Amino acid sequence: MRKGMDHVGVLVFSAAAIYATLAILIGVIPGTVLSKSPAGRGVVPLDAAQARGRAVYVGEGCSYCHTQFVRPLAQDRVWGRASVAGDYTYSTPQLLGTERTGPDLSNIGVRQPSDVWHSIHLYQPRSLVTGSIMPPYPWLFVVKDKADPGDVVVNVPAAYAPPGKVIVATADEQDLVAYLVSLKQAALPSPAP
Amino acid sequence: MTTTTAGVHRQLTAESEAAIDSVRIFSAFTITATFWLLLTTAVGLLLSFKFTYPDLAANPLLSFGRLRAIHTNGTFYGWASVALTGLAFYVAARTSGVQLQQRKLAWAALWCFNLAAALGTITLDLGISNGSQEYREWVWWVACIFLLAVVLSGIVTVATVMARTGQDIYISNWYTIGAFIFTTILGITAAIPFYQYGLGEVAVQGFYMHNAVGMWFTFLALGMTYYALPKLLNRPIYSYALGVLGFWTNLVFYPIIGAHHYEFSPLPWWFQTLAIVFSVGMLVPVWAGSGNFFLTMRGRWAIIRRSYALPFFFVGILYYFIGSTQGTLEAFRSLQALWHMTNFTVGHSHLTMYGFITFLTWGGIYALLPMATGKRPALLLVGLHFWMAFLGVTIYVIVLSIAGTVQGITWANGDPFIASVEAAAPYWSARAISGTMMLIAHVIFAVNVWKMTAGRAEPEPV
Repeated sequence: MRKGMDHVGVLVFSAAAIYATLAILIGVIPGTVLSKSPAGRGVVPLDAAQARGRAVYVGEGCSYCHTQFVRPLAQDRVWGRASVAGDYTYSTPQLLGTERTGPDLSNIGVRQPSDVWHSIHLYQPRSLVTGSIMPPYPWLFVVKDKADPGDVVVNVPAAYAPPGKVIVATADEQDLVAYLVSLKQAALPSPAP
Repeated sequence: MTTTTAGVHRQLTAESEAAIDSVRIFSAFTITATFWLLLTTAVGLLLSFKFTYPDLAANPLLSFGRLRAIHTNGTFYGWASVALTGLAFYVAARTSGVQLQQRKLAWAALWCFNLAAALGTITLDLGISNGSQEYREWVWWVACIFLLAVVLSGIVTVATVMARTGQDIYISNWYTIGAFIFTTILGITAAIPFYQYGLGEVAVQGFYMHNAVGMWFTFLALGMTYYALPKLLNRPIYSYALGVLGFWTNLVFYPIIGAHHYEFSPLPWWFQTLAIVFSVGMLVPVWAGSGNFFLTMRGRWAIIRRSYALPFFFVGILYYFIGSTQGTLEAFRSLQALWHMTNFTVGHSHLTMYGFITFLTWGGIYALLPMATGKRPALLLVGLHFWMAFLGVTIYVIVLSIAGTVQGITWANGDPFIASVEAAAPYWSARAISGTMMLIAHVIFAVNVWKMTAGRAEPEPV
């Protein structure tokens, strides 16, 4: 007669019951509750172009090097104010990230509000930032002999551009830039006087 | 009496067919896992060169952002998961004194594991991702194929243990059956999207990413070690009770600590504190487990030095102890403030997933696969594999720990951000060199796997 933990059924059931309980307590309940965090004042959903741009950001894995989360620490003040729950109400999939090989982007739309800067930087980061190790994204652009009507031409510095050609932003690139420029931390309500 | 003789003969044939099928399953799991190890660590090496040569291979299919997830998911779910599942099957059969049961399901699990790894790799390379949430980047339907493989593997292992001849369930099978159950529950928790938005998804991600390591790889690797180590040393495990203590404390403490990946985030402060407290609690299973193994090895250094497999176990257990203890220290807020978001974390993940999990996996394969197939690799090549991998990962972890520390210091100094990139640059170059050594080790390992599996199996008598 097999008893107690020498019975496979008892082992399977007790291990499963304990772990399922912990999964609910530590995973499902916090997930459910925090998913309902109300949006902070001034935090709004993305428009259609920005949302498509965010999908490009996700697919290209930008958040492996760029966090979107500012810690309440002195060394993080350069990136903006400390992030709060209400900043993330419309951020799914979440893009907080775990590595900061490049700068935090929570507030990049304030630091670099220019579409042109972002486009040149995405085509060749080293044309604007000496010492940058960010990968270039040439596949977000089309290189043509001359621009067609309606093309968004990106004036990359001559040293980094193919000679005699024009560089045109694709729709994906324009969406991505729209998303990056939209990344601005909403002002927190001032504390009562 | 002829009918009886024929009956016995038929029975013997069925028995030997089952034995051959079991060996083939073990070999097939090891071979396909080795394929994923080679592919995804070659990818890792390319990534490491991109830190020094950022314009290298500027092609979407070879871009950093897409390949990084292929490297991490491929090593996790292609290499370590498949190799350790193959080992778990072998251990379940041996400790139960029977052939592997439900072998058709074992083959189906192998197909599902490999199909998931292939589809996961392809979709990520096309930029189709579940968001850069570490270790769950595979889109839900790929994750479900992997999960099916886990469930099938769990059924195979449970069925084999239920058919055992003895009364006790050997401690190895507690760990491996636990791993299949926990990962099934974890996978379902992570895959259901309806309750994960914004910060809620962050909470689930912290839970998932940590549990995918500690409730899956740790349990599989420790379970296998509880069988292979005493077998190789020809002495019982030092303390069965410590093994049981490790099982239950790991089960209860580990699920609580995931939020330490998001310290100083908007997750509730008490939730982060709870994770830190239980990160300290993790010292109990870690020291119980590694101490138990070290005490089992005590006084047997002469045997360890001459063995194919034991040096791998020694390093795996040593790095389990160091890496997991380091994890506890890293969880403290004072150290997180310095090291979080730096390369220190990447060093830690290689210390644990490579130094701990992968070394134990190699030890298990070198110990058990020759017993199954009757074929041994060349000792020189095993030694070369060991030293290239050991020196490679050790250099890797040291240089990235320094890189992470200097990154953190430049930030704390308030230097311009680019200073952290410039300060880490020489260490990234050193990392590429250590990565090259690791990849060479993997090629040698692949040759050894071929030596251990090619041709007709001649199992050693048990």
